[in-house]
Amino acid sequence: MRGQRGYSLVEILVAFVILTVVITLSLTAFLERNKRLQQANEIILAYQALANESEYWRRKDFSALQPTDKFESELALLAPLKPYTTNVLVQQTPSGTKNVTLLIKWKDGLREAKLTLVRVNTSSEGGLW
Amino acid sequence: MVTAQRQRGYSLMEIVVAMTIFLIFLATLFALTADMRNYEKRLPINFQKHPQLSAVVTRLRRDVMDGLGSNPYRNNDPKNEFTAGEKVLILETLTASGGAQTIVWDFREPGTVRRRAYNGPMASDWWARGLPAGEFTIGAVKTGPRATWATHIQMKDKEGRLAIDQILQPRAVE
Repeated sequence: MRGQRGYSLVEILVAFVILTVVITLSLTAFLERNKRLQQANEIILAYQALANESEYWRRKDFSALQPTDKFESELALLAPLKPYTTNVLVQQTPSGTKNVTLLIKWKDGLREAKLTLVRVNTSSEGGLW
Repeated sequence: MVTAQRQRGYSLMEIVVAMTIFLIFLATLFALTADMRNYEKRLPINFQKHPQLSAVVTRLRRDVMDGLGSNPYRNNDPKNEFTAGEKVLILETLTASGGAQTIVWDFREPGTVRRRAYNGPMASDWWARGLPAGEFTIGAVKTGPRATWATHIQMKDKEGRLAIDQILQPRAVE
């Protein structure tokens, strides 16, 4: 008769704890994986936009490189990241070059992607381009 | 008596408790994934599932950058089999050995992108297959008053969302 008794409270609790740990770990791993996949897809979109914008900033006259919060390229690609903000920072270096940093922020500024170009003054008469 | 006790079914209370626990678990799972699923729907394509897309753009970028001269774009291939348009891009590029070759990028067939290279006869034929449903278009854009025309490749998924939008600029030519 002893062998046919039900489970004790302790046995049930231990089983529940093990089950909870397994479920929690699986769920966490699943959610983390999805989050990272999403972030990777967002980054791919953002860097496409940054690469496009860099083509415009590579060809601007050196003297026309000024900070702004408006990108010149088409940004329809970034629709899934709305609301987002864009920024162009221009930093003059002691060596006479300018660092042009293109910045996109989304998710209330929690996520960002940036691309920096180093521009050299290759003359005012068209220069290299 | 003992046998009868062992073989009885579950009581209503046991069933209700078990189902409640299970429903709580399901509700938690659903709530945790609902936001994620909704957000995923806003994104056009899962690029991790379709690495061929990146391969196409990377290879195309290389061809455009290796474009020959200030205007590497051609209207026709050497055999006059293709005409450049919004689904076909024809480029004259430099080879690693310094020679020239004609590249034809063909985006006409859904789910497939084909790159043919001609060096006299066809030198290579590369396919990207199994691409996600969508439509590629090739356009042109100027990124500056003195810039060479850049190739503008776009791809919209089957729901019309822009998934690829890339400006590919030939190298500067002195």
